[in-house]
Amino acid sequence: MSRFLLSSHLQNARHSLRSNRSRTLLTILGIAIGVASITTIMSLGDGASQVVAQQISNLGGNLAIVRPGPSRTNFLTDITVPQGQNYATSTLTDSDVAAISALPHVKEIAPISVINSTITGQHSAPAGTPIVSTTPALSSVDGLQLDVGQFLDSNISQNTAVVGSNLARIIFGTTDALGQTAYIRGYNFTIIGVLKPLNQPINYNNIDFDNAIIIGQDIGRQLSNGSAQIQQINIRSDSAANLTSVVSSINKTLSAQHFGDKDFTVLANSDISQPTSELFYAVVGVTTSIAAISLFVGGIGIMNIMLVSVAERTREIGIRKAIGAHTTDIVWQFLIESLALSLSGGFLGYIAGYGLAFMISTALPFYPSFNWQIAAVSFGLSVLIGTIFGLYPAVRAARKDPIEALRYYS
Amino acid sequence: MTESTNTPVIVLRGLKKHFGVGDAEQYALDGVDLTINKGEFVTIMGPSGSGKTTLLNVLGLLDTSIEGDYQLEGRAVNTLSKRQLARIRSRQIGFVFQSFNLINRLTVIENVALPLTYKGGLSHIKRLKKASEMLATFHLNEREYFLPYQLSGGQTQRVAIARALVNNPSIILADEPTGNLDSRASHIIMEELSDLHQRGNTIIMVTHNPDLTTYASRVITMLDGKIASDTDSLLGQPSVEFKRPLAMVVRPSTDNQAANSQTKPVVTTLSKVDRRKLKVAVRKRQQIAKNRAPARHAEEYHQ
Ligand SMILES: Nc1ncnc2c1ncn2[C@@H]1O[C@H](COP(=O)(O)OP(=O)(O)O)[C@@H](O)[C@H]1O
Ligand SMILES: [Mg+2]
Repeated sequence: MSRFLLSSHLQNARHSLRSNRSRTLLTILGIAIGVASITTIMSLGDGASQVVAQQISNLGGNLAIVRPGPSRTNFLTDITVPQGQNYATSTLTDSDVAAISALPHVKEIAPISVINSTITGQHSAPAGTPIVSTTPALSSVDGLQLDVGQFLDSNISQNTAVVGSNLARIIFGTTDALGQTAYIRGYNFTIIGVLKPLNQPINYNNIDFDNAIIIGQDIGRQLSNGSAQIQQINIRSDSAANLTSVVSSINKTLSAQHFGDKDFTVLANSDISQPTSELFYAVVGVTTSIAAISLFVGGIGIMNIMLVSVAERTREIGIRKAIGAHTTDIVWQFLIESLALSLSGGFLGYIAGYGLAFMISTALPFYPSFNWQIAAVSFGLSVLIGTIFGLYPAVRAARKDPIEALRYYS
Repeated sequence: MTESTNTPVIVLRGLKKHFGVGDAEQYALDGVDLTINKGEFVTIMGPSGSGKTTLLNVLGLLDTSIEGDYQLEGRAVNTLSKRQLARIRSRQIGFVFQSFNLINRLTVIENVALPLTYKGGLSHIKRLKKASEMLATFHLNEREYFLPYQLSGGQTQRVAIARALVNNPSIILADEPTGNLDSRASHIIMEELSDLHQRGNTIIMVTHNPDLTTYASRVITMLDGKIASDTDSLLGQPSVEFKRPLAMVVRPSTDNQAANSQTKPVVTTLSKVDRRKLKVAVRKRQQIAKNRAPARHAEEYHQ
């Protein structure tokens, strides 16, 4: 198809879509909704990743983490199988932790378990407040800073705890909670430190430390009757340059420990920032279904309108053929028209999706992100839908017998 | 007037075209032998259903499922690919239909520029420029940005002729171009066509109006898918003097308003019109057309 013919088809498409504004608008609604939901979720998801990526890069580029369960390789399992803390039984064990800490270039290591139980100080903590059971190394591995007091220490009593600043305010009424006592399952914990506010509800630990209480690993295991599972192991290499070799030796060691089962995932730096929370994947799942349904319905709408349009223009097709249009010219004419429909739907959806994302982000600690991938996905989906659902009407138009078409008096 | 040369542009031998299968099979064209030379102005007459439109569709390469031989400018049509056929339709053939000639959504100028689009190689601006020039020769330049529904029937057909001509085709095929027009508008269209004829185009026109055959250099009558009479076969022989009346049977046609008013078959004769007289008549009409042209168009704008 020549350049001139293309521009003529484009002009024709614009013309015919404009002449039927309300019909056009209704037709592209499905595509617009589909693309909007995808744009919203991708821009917010990526915004969240960027927040985490920023946190990780602030840590100095030498962080690796190990999570239970195999790594995700495709999007579908991504959104249907949550990872990390959601595993009923973690595949990570204390001996894994020991094996990793013995590896060269491993500077620090902190396993994290999360226990759910009621916490009471002067007041009760909200349900679902995480009890983080870990080792003293966590403070330096994650760069946690204390507002007052000190972090966990293996040389002092295990009945001690560090609280997040917000939780301190909730259960003790003050952030100056040193010496207060928290009760968990009949155990008493003396507060020896309060964390500086982090304001990082989204992070690679999936724990909001501002609203968490941190206790030692041994007492954590006691108080959960041994059911506390290691949901993540955070590791720092001795330098950023050695991180890659540390990751590969962790992979080797754990493979050996697990008899070859790849039931763990080692992530380094930017890979860590992929969102992992169950809520996020639930939202992605719902959004993807909405998007898929809207795109399909939108595609059917386009096909329907294009079939109507082909029928309406039977005589026109006859005339065009009589004055020299080839079959492929007619196919392109109608295909470009359906592409124009789906692309305007996609464009509208892209804009609306960002609008929605910004509205939602007012309730979130981060902004939706702009990147070419989201634009490419929106564009690609629109082209795909326009082509798939526009091809049949276009071919039908082109197949019309010119004689029959010319006998058709509209 | 340009003489028709002896270069055949269209040669049909034993041409047949059937619709339907089995019991429903019916020959719309049933053995047509016809040679049309370059520069001829042929009118085809005949009752409704006699195969005139079918013949034009075959000649215009819209219908290629035919039996028999069709040679267009020396090339056998059945050897051409679909793309080649489309190319020939685009460059060598101009179509004018009875009605609904124009694409309603497009302006007059876009309609005229359309064949240039399919021919390729010209930018949009250049296409419009060429279309505009073409419209100017039909005194329609003030109607360029009108939509088809804003035109009178006569104007619509002149736009259709402008469109048929924009690619400089050598053959114009017109299927009852005046079928929906009153006699005055019909004559305007006929004058345009005979103008084209003068400039050397080959014109093949179907009509129900016997008056219009005087514009033509040759009149063919069809009946039941066959050629019933052809002035050329008689006029072609120089020794034959036209003393005998050449009868042309024109049955009342269902798709022609003018003919509908008549209930009985009409017999028109070309009796006293011999070849020379026919030529003189045509020339006279052309002279009249030329003299009348500016006034005619001025009149039309006020319609
Ligand atoms: N597409 C078609 N299908 C079936 N029969 C057709 C078709 N087109 C034309 N015919 C038949 O062929 C014959 C000739 O038709 P046509 O060429 O349109 O006649 P005319 O133009 O002389 O009035 C008629 O009997 C008509 O019914
Ligand atoms: Mg007809």
